[in-house]
Amino acid sequence: MKSGLTIGFLVLVGIWYLSFSATRLDRLHHRVETSWANLDVLLQKRAAIALEIAHSDLADPASSLLLTGAAYQARDADVKNRSMAESGLSGALGLLISDGLAHASESEQALLQELSALTAKIRVAISIHTDAVSSTQMVRRKFVVRTFRLAGTAPLPVTYEFESDVL
Amino acid sequence: MLTKKLKIGIVCPYGWDTPGGVQNHVRDLAEFLISAGHSVSVLAPAIDEDQLPDYAVSAGKPISIPYNGAIARVLFGPIAYARVRQWIANGEFDLLHLHEPAIPSISLLACWAAEGPMVGTFHAAAKRQKVIFAIGPILEPAIEKLSARIAVSEAARLTLTDHLDTDAIVVPNGIYAKRYSAGTFQEKWAGNTIGFIGRFEEPRKGLQVLVDALPIITRFAPDVKVFVAGPGNPKEFEKEIDPQLRDRFEFLGRISEQEKADFMSSVSLYVAPNTGGESFGIILAEALAGGACVVASDIPAFDSLLGGGEFGALFESENSTDLAKVVIDLLRDENKRKELAIAGKTHAQIFDWDVVAQQIFSIYEMAIVGGNGVSLSSDGRAWGRFLSRDEEKK
Repeated sequence: MKSGLTIGFLVLVGIWYLSFSATRLDRLHHRVETSWANLDVLLQKRAAIALEIAHSDLADPASSLLLTGAAYQARDADVKNRSMAESGLSGALGLLISDGLAHASESEQALLQELSALTAKIRVAISIHTDAVSSTQMVRRKFVVRTFRLAGTAPLPVTYEFESDVL
Repeated sequence: MLTKKLKIGIVCPYGWDTPGGVQNHVRDLAEFLISAGHSVSVLAPAIDEDQLPDYAVSAGKPISIPYNGAIARVLFGPIAYARVRQWIANGEFDLLHLHEPAIPSISLLACWAAEGPMVGTFHAAAKRQKVIFAIGPILEPAIEKLSARIAVSEAARLTLTDHLDTDAIVVPNGIYAKRYSAGTFQEKWAGNTIGFIGRFEEPRKGLQVLVDALPIITRFAPDVKVFVAGPGNPKEFEKEIDPQLRDRFEFLGRISEQEKADFMSSVSLYVAPNTGGESFGIILAEALAGGACVVASDIPAFDSLLGGGEFGALFESENSTDLAKVVIDLLRDENKRKELAIAGKTHAQIFDWDVVAQQIFSIYEMAIVGGNGVSLSSDGRAWGRFLSRDEEKK
């Protein structure tokens, strides 16, 4: 009788723990999705600004070509190639800004300022997203989660590699 | 870009009535956000509920427990938990901002109870402790609910990565830089003077290091005077000081914010000989903003705040000979002093609330994307998904 009670209790605790872990994982997946959505919006905005800069007087024809190409690539890239395309855009923007600042008119100055504000936000968004991804990966690696397939069909989130020094 | 008007709930873990860095930060942040047009409610433990400002709600009387080598006035327990849940349920917040969610107080309870956009700020910096291995697994599921984490300094960020394996964005503590730069020069504090502000009785504030350095300093600068401001009983402390040097010290007691600004603009040097336990060093930011030439110990928080010596002089922590050397050099060289003070004052603008609140707010904006406000969490969330999925199939 007594051992029966103990087993029953253990089973209840086990069920509670499974349910708790599943909830936790669900929440983490949600966090990854929202932080990615966040980052995605900011990156799209950046590509738009890059195009605007490419069409302004700031860019000479050659760098305009480079920038336009990079911006379109960044916009069209799928998830796998996204970070590489975005790094390419960072590089192209970096090249232009380093020697473009000196002879920028007022409206172009505003454009560049907008870009630098956006860059700061992107940096924060990346760190938030990376954090969400790594905590999710950590929980996904747990024994209980793997054995009982608590993640269901949700794909394992991938870290977004961004060379922050390029930004 | 403080355009969207939000309903923000802020949780302060320490007793509102006792002065402290976290409490000041929460108060200033709440007041800044309110003046920017947001609606803010602060939940904090309080001894005297009548003393609370309009925007604050009491969670009950704080309990004093020893924590991390100091007495912390925190609050937990079933009644507090019920109050926290009630505050969250009634608040209809867009976002919760929890301060110090890793210590056993109402911030942790709120983190446990709520679901939705949450931002956590970590203030403390501590060395890696063994106990964290025991409490880490308990904290982890709660801490990972935070949509974004803020650390007030590089030291606090390292503590977080060490202890809880998660990263944070560094946003410094805020000060009202304009209030300090508006200080007026006071003749009574001028000359060959050294200033110190803080609870001087606490050993970690390091006034003793300055006292030990004074015999050497007086040899080279015979007319030097030390002004000590801050709460405490000077009688007890004076007994420890060499009788010949006693008249060099003047204890001012607690001083007002206005006096603090004047103090920083008037003294030749501001010395912060703290021996540790500082995470950010708000007083240094205030001293810099007030235009003082700062000399500080090289503990990690001060080192990073002063840019490794660019915005103020550093000396080896707890080494009074080194302190004396740095002080004498600076007292003799007025140009160097002015240079440091000007560099420091310019640098201090990054700690101004206008800048800091903007940074915090852009993190808020990222946290609320895709969220439908804060609600009470249910641990049956996965079950809900599961069941509703079944229903969809039908």
